[in-house]
Amino acid sequence: MIEVSTAASTERRRRQRRPATWLGSALAVLLASGLALAQQYNEAPMLAEMVARGELPPVEERLPENPLVIEPFEEIGTYGGVIRRGFTGPGDHNNYTRWVYDSLLRFSVDGSEIVPHVLESWEPSEDFRTWTLRLRRGMKWSDGHPFTAEALTFYYDAVLKNPDLTPSVPVWIANHDGTLATMRAVDDYTVEVEFDFPYTLFPLELTFRDGGDHTIAAHLPAHYLKQFHPDYGDPAEIERMVREAGLNDWTQLFMQKAIIQDNPDRPSTAAWVPYQSTISDQIYTLRRNPYYFAVDPAGNQLPYVDEVQFRFFADVEALNFAAVAGELDMQDRHMQLTNYPVLVENAERSGYRVITWPTFGGNDAALWVNQQYTADPELGEVLANQDFRIALSIGIDREEIRESAFLGLGELRQPVAAPWHPYYPGDEYAFKHTEFDPARANEILDSLGLTRGPDGMRRLPSGRPLRLEISVVPAFGPWPDVAQLIAGDFADLGLATDIQIRERNTHFTMRDANELMMEIWNEDTAGFPFTGNPKIDPRSSPATIFAVESRTWYATNGERGIEPTPEIARIVEIIEEAKTVGTERQIELAQELNRLVADQLYGIGTVGLTPMIQGVVVVNADLANVPDLVANDWPLRTPGDARPESFFYRR
Amino acid sequence: MHWYVLKRLAVAPLMLFLFSVIAFALIQAPPGDFLTSYIAELAQGGSSLDQAQIDALRRQYGLDKPIYQQYLLWVGSILRGDLGISLEWRRSNAELIGERLLLTLALTTGSLLFTWLVAIPIGILSATRQYSFIDYVFTVLNYIGLATPNFMLALVLMWMAFDRFGVSVTGLFSPEFAQAPWSWARVVDLLKHIWLPMIVLGIAGTAQIARVVRANLLDELKKPYAEMARAKGLPEWRLVLKYPTRVAIAPVVSTLGWYFPQLLSGGVVVSVVMSLPTIGPLLLRALISQDMYLAGTIILIFCALTLIGTLVSDVLLAVLDPRIRMDGA
Repeated sequence: MIEVSTAASTERRRRQRRPATWLGSALAVLLASGLALAQQYNEAPMLAEMVARGELPPVEERLPENPLVIEPFEEIGTYGGVIRRGFTGPGDHNNYTRWVYDSLLRFSVDGSEIVPHVLESWEPSEDFRTWTLRLRRGMKWSDGHPFTAEALTFYYDAVLKNPDLTPSVPVWIANHDGTLATMRAVDDYTVEVEFDFPYTLFPLELTFRDGGDHTIAAHLPAHYLKQFHPDYGDPAEIERMVREAGLNDWTQLFMQKAIIQDNPDRPSTAAWVPYQSTISDQIYTLRRNPYYFAVDPAGNQLPYVDEVQFRFFADVEALNFAAVAGELDMQDRHMQLTNYPVLVENAERSGYRVITWPTFGGNDAALWVNQQYTADPELGEVLANQDFRIALSIGIDREEIRESAFLGLGELRQPVAAPWHPYYPGDEYAFKHTEFDPARANEILDSLGLTRGPDGMRRLPSGRPLRLEISVVPAFGPWPDVAQLIAGDFADLGLATDIQIRERNTHFTMRDANELMMEIWNEDTAGFPFTGNPKIDPRSSPATIFAVESRTWYATNGERGIEPTPEIARIVEIIEEAKTVGTERQIELAQELNRLVADQLYGIGTVGLTPMIQGVVVVNADLANVPDLVANDWPLRTPGDARPESFFYRR
Repeated sequence: MHWYVLKRLAVAPLMLFLFSVIAFALIQAPPGDFLTSYIAELAQGGSSLDQAQIDALRRQYGLDKPIYQQYLLWVGSILRGDLGISLEWRRSNAELIGERLLLTLALTTGSLLFTWLVAIPIGILSATRQYSFIDYVFTVLNYIGLATPNFMLALVLMWMAFDRFGVSVTGLFSPEFAQAPWSWARVVDLLKHIWLPMIVLGIAGTAQIARVVRANLLDELKKPYAEMARAKGLPEWRLVLKYPTRVAIAPVVSTLGWYFPQLLSGGVVVSVVMSLPTIGPLLLRALISQDMYLAGTIILIFCALTLIGTLVSDVLLAVLDPRIRMDGA
């Protein structure tokens, strides 16, 4: 993934896209009317009726001057139909976020580059300190109100600058000294953001500011939200609304009004907008946004499908069952890998097909080893020994794990980026220490002075018995099974290994208290090591077990916690440098980081690139334009990055 | 009798206060709070909040206050008749519980009626035809019913419905009626769905109650007054129904008190498996996500129901059995 898009690359992309777009719509127009008029658009029948009744302006007026053109995966579609999906209640708000992918910038379908979305273009200054963001001229909110620079400046003034809504400056828009970056509107369609340091990750950060995780999105309908903000609205009226809703203060009211999953009245720029329902209803209904700013190459306004219905399931298995019965038209979220055989078996009968989207690099079940285990210093020293970890790694029979825990899917690998990704460090690192070689593992363990006792089990150098413990949370994937298999392999090496299956909160609490020896967790951030909470960054929270004491060390500037080893400190250096340099250097740094991952084995990878996380996809047999392969990850908002607005029913 | 009822009513608030403290303490017992489980849940989707966002949320939800203050806030608002706002749903608890209460009661009452209508006649039949073929058949069926976990039964029935008819029988409504306002068509749709969970929930109770009725009735039928009535020439069916049955179902009635909360909560697994929009799954979800205000409120309502249920069953017993009336007053 290229984390910086320069003006040049943006321009190149636009040039590449333009001819196809023009040709496409020109062709359609020629066929339709014989007139070579570039600005002719089509719309859904239900909207055409509303236009005819005078309830809606014509489509040309609803679209911006330069609408976004979305290339369908297979073919130009036709309008109509409902897509039925399942969700699991208000905590599942990201189900909506992922589906609409209503962000300023988006990722391409393969996750390799950032492409325009709400923003028409963006470019940095020479020194990467100032970023110019350009909006689409003539674009509208879903209520028809013009979409202008105020959408961004209102977010900046009313949310980011407000200490009640934003108590501390978020890192993604902070200067180097921790203060808020400067944002100003140059004109109605141009916004400038200025930092006090070269900040090359800014476009990447913009792709995440879509209101995911139940936060306030970075583009807001100021004309609607002002009435709920005391800097703009009537304080007495706001007070009355707060009381009436039974809330504590205006920030709660503002959040509730600004977050679209809770408030269907909030105007939006998404392809579908909530229709008289919220995420806490039994059926959460979305209807097409008549002002959606995107078209297909033939000039048909998107989306093709009229309506999306999310149906509530109290239980994930009940949701899976509904999918088996063919009652869901497009479902990736909450589908269980273990149900894959049942799904395939009933596909024809229930009228759907099953496709698999592998996880975006990394590893789906890595064994993380605590490098700072202080509860037993002697054991802690063993765990921190690189050779010991190599012995563990080559002592694991990964093929068996793939066969019995992952249904034979995926690749045996270390937790590094995916082979198609620019950050990939090469096969020699991806597969390093993945060969199953118990003989050599035993040799290494012997050489470390971990001799076997009369019972065949190894002892610590001091002669005390050596007991390992793996903590496992029965969530995400078949991790308890993986732990069981690993423990068996370790026992063969003479390493007594206990498995503790823990409830998630207990595990998290113990992890933060540095009480865990080893854990099974995934590494799903190999493609995004420089932003968010990378699993390999010791400062992340929540992260993994390997260096939690160094998190404290960094947070307290060395006052408390444990000073990181040079290798762990190097991880932090790499991440910090990558935030300020151009793409090529970023790739170099990321590859170095990936090599370090495979060498140090803080997380010992087992199997990766399986469809474990939301990668088993059930699709109605008639639903077309659903890509066979999509970069599948939360930062990419899958399935939103598959462009659901171009899905349609082939009848 | 009046004194008895009044006395029981007077103790109720004190009991509720104790329950509220215990409920709140229990919900707080697991490590972490609503936010830690919320963060963990987000982490599961691959996303994460930064510390600033977490701090803001903690303050907004009032989770930065000491536990006793959180408790006082909660109880204070309940005393003012405000059941508070759910942390997870961000909606008022009263509304959340309210919209599920009617369906839960319909389901509970339905399965209770099903249990009684099936169990009591079976009990009587088994008792009057003791050790006959029909008694053995029912006994075997009863044991199977008692031994099968009802969520298992739900799963089997769901799979059969899918396998035979290609439909999933989850939920209490078809999707088109789930959000619709109440209408005749919606009631019909509800009836189409509710029978299966009703049977599933009721079946285990059926076995139990049939056994109780059978055993009690067998005792009664051997008593001298029954012999006497027989000797006087009273027709057998009239004899059985007139006196011994009344006595035999008394224990069944006395279990009514804990039957209601048990059905509200005891059906959790079935409701979760069948995706029913009832209170059980709401409570389970609230406990998992440590949404303490919602969970606490539901538990408090359960406690109140138990208190009321016990009172009602005591009164019913008194009505049914004159001997209790004498003692109680």
